[in-house]
Amino acid sequence: MATTTVAKQLEVRSANEAPWETLFLFLGPALLIYVAFTLYPVWKTFYNSLYVMTPPHNVQKYVGLGNFVSLLTQDQIFRQAVRNTAVFSVVGTLADVGGGLLLALCLFAKVPLARLWRVVWFTPVLISYVVVGIIWVWIYDYDWGVLNTVLRGIGLGSLAHSWLGDPSTALWAVLLAQVWKWTGFNMIVFLAALYALPADVLGAAELDHCGWTAKLVHIILPMMRPTVVTLLVLSFIGKMMIFDVVWIMTHGGPLWSTETVSTYVYKRAFDWNTFDLGYPSAIAVVWFILILGFVALMTRLLSQRGKLELY
Amino acid sequence: MKYLIATCAVALVVALWLWRGRAQTDGLTLTIWSHEADEPAKVALREYVARQLEKAHPALRVKITWYEIDGLSTALKTALPAGQGPDVFYIQSDQTDYITNGYVAPLDDLIDWSNIYDWARQAWLIDGKTWAVPQEVYTDELYYNKRLLAQLGFTLPADAQFTQDEFFELVEKARAAGITPIAQGAGDRDFPGAYILTQALLRKLGPEDYGKLFDGTLSFSDPRVADVFRWVKSLVDAGAYPKNFMTMKLAEAHYYFYQRPGAVMLPMGSWYTGRAFVPVDDGGQPPDFPLGIMQFPAMNGGACNECKTRAVGASFAINAASRHKELAAEYLNRMSTPEIGKRWIETVYLQSAVKTDVSSIGGSYGAYYKELMDRQRGAKYFPGDPSDFIHGQCLDTFTQVMNTSFPGGLLSVERAIELMNQGCYTAGDRGAGSAMNP
Repeated sequence: MATTTVAKQLEVRSANEAPWETLFLFLGPALLIYVAFTLYPVWKTFYNSLYVMTPPHNVQKYVGLGNFVSLLTQDQIFRQAVRNTAVFSVVGTLADVGGGLLLALCLFAKVPLARLWRVVWFTPVLISYVVVGIIWVWIYDYDWGVLNTVLRGIGLGSLAHSWLGDPSTALWAVLLAQVWKWTGFNMIVFLAALYALPADVLGAAELDHCGWTAKLVHIILPMMRPTVVTLLVLSFIGKMMIFDVVWIMTHGGPLWSTETVSTYVYKRAFDWNTFDLGYPSAIAVVWFILILGFVALMTRLLSQRGKLELY
Repeated sequence: MKYLIATCAVALVVALWLWRGRAQTDGLTLTIWSHEADEPAKVALREYVARQLEKAHPALRVKITWYEIDGLSTALKTALPAGQGPDVFYIQSDQTDYITNGYVAPLDDLIDWSNIYDWARQAWLIDGKTWAVPQEVYTDELYYNKRLLAQLGFTLPADAQFTQDEFFELVEKARAAGITPIAQGAGDRDFPGAYILTQALLRKLGPEDYGKLFDGTLSFSDPRVADVFRWVKSLVDAGAYPKNFMTMKLAEAHYYFYQRPGAVMLPMGSWYTGRAFVPVDDGGQPPDFPLGIMQFPAMNGGACNECKTRAVGASFAINAASRHKELAAEYLNRMSTPEIGKRWIETVYLQSAVKTDVSSIGGSYGAYYKELMDRQRGAKYFPGDPSDFIHGQCLDTFTQVMNTSFPGGLLSVERAIELMNQGCYTAGDRGAGSAMNP
């Protein structure tokens, strides 16, 4: 009897299981693309990082960990790039996630003209990085930029400054442009999360005469923790790889003060007039591992239930 | 399911076979990748030559893909090693790495060189072989506004060259009069901010030592080099450059010079005309703009005050892996005829590497070309700007220090020299300290 039941179960399971041909047919194209455009480039980057390529004919010479040793012990520009990227990642993430939360709370609290503000604050997200970069380069222009014009207009002409031309202000100026672009995205995600909060919990809090601040700190933020964690991680990863806006606005200058790891990799790979992809690959590998480590750490530290809420 | 898979496989094979057959019956395609997508006159000329070649070979299709330089470089640096590059591609004088890595075919026997200026051909002579066909040539010139110069009380000497002291006085007087002395910006290129400094170094050191300075065998601490840096620093401190020097783009510097707010001088390659000699609505200079050309100032005790920089600009190379080298060469030969050279000057307004009689160029710009020829007469030439021939860390340091931060007033003379030695000087002690602590 028992044997018959098991046999029947196996028969049913076998009938439900898709044959390997079907699996291959449906998964094959996606797997092929994944292997060709993700796995292979990653493997090739790891492979290249162990070699230097020298002319003529791009002869590959195995150097083992030589590129990594040079990178970590001698390369001052890389260290500067890491410092700048760290500032970008930490300050930028806190600024645009925090800013997005504040804006979302404003809209959730039904400030006047909320619908208009929602569109205005979200619009920068729809603009390409190239356009954002150009707009902000114009805003910061010493002679005719809006910022200096306003400063002169209100009698603060002495504060007019070459914002992107001074190493002490350039990084912050670029960072502001980046935050301006992404705050609206975080705002929309937070707003969706706010509207998804259970109304009965908020209503109960109001019945208990819970003030706005207490409601925010003790109810809203804890309930939105998965959203906060997700946005922090996504924003952090994005800024660890920041390239476009820096490239458009400063090319990493002046004096490497806005150089990020991504712009440095690009320069070493394509701007230094050599075909050697070994060293830039080593930078990419180190950075890949670092990002992976940071994301794992952040997820572990911040995640409530050990998993991210993915959108 | 097996039938479905088999049907898909058969369909795929048939599709590939049909596609292959179509490619064969379509005839031959010559592929060209070119920079300068945003320069309509150059696009028109190169497309014109392509159509001419197609007429001569009815089964041939010439396909030009237009890029901007960054996109082109990135595409070539991945396509060439993968054996996927085009038959012909645009190349600049700073891209000799394509040649040294074996991706370019030698052109000595493929091209009719009789129409090309010999010195322009020499620019592409590496290891005894010629690797590219130059289309555009230029010299570094110091353009000026004749009206503003007169207004400031200066008269250009007969040899069109101020001394370094006179030049400093000109900068001071212009700034005192509220006029920007030199319209220049380093916001989007790795060379224009360094024009005054590099030209002064060339005149002070002479071609041989100037070359050594950038090939790493002469220290930037050399007293003559330090003298030049100090002189340029005095110009910077006197307000020679606009306040937005660090971010001003090349095209904006042109507009700044001849439109608003106006400046006395603009150091630029003689390809200045490509932006200036177009209609005002397209960003060109006003028709009545009093354009003049002076020599860069003579240095006190200069080893070669008659020296100038001359270089090739837009050039084309043939992919070493191309299977259509003869046709590719025919395209380049058709681009190098005297007729095309004249058409180039008349429509693109740039000097051509093709032997062309500029005295036959008439019209409103005839006087300009005459003055340009006068300034180039008797000059001793150095091939290329530093950004054309230096590589790697030296190039990066040059861009950050000599092109931007030093003329931008961010660095002292000593610190600039120290950084340049760290980036470029390979023959001796690079000096202590980090390149990252200005």
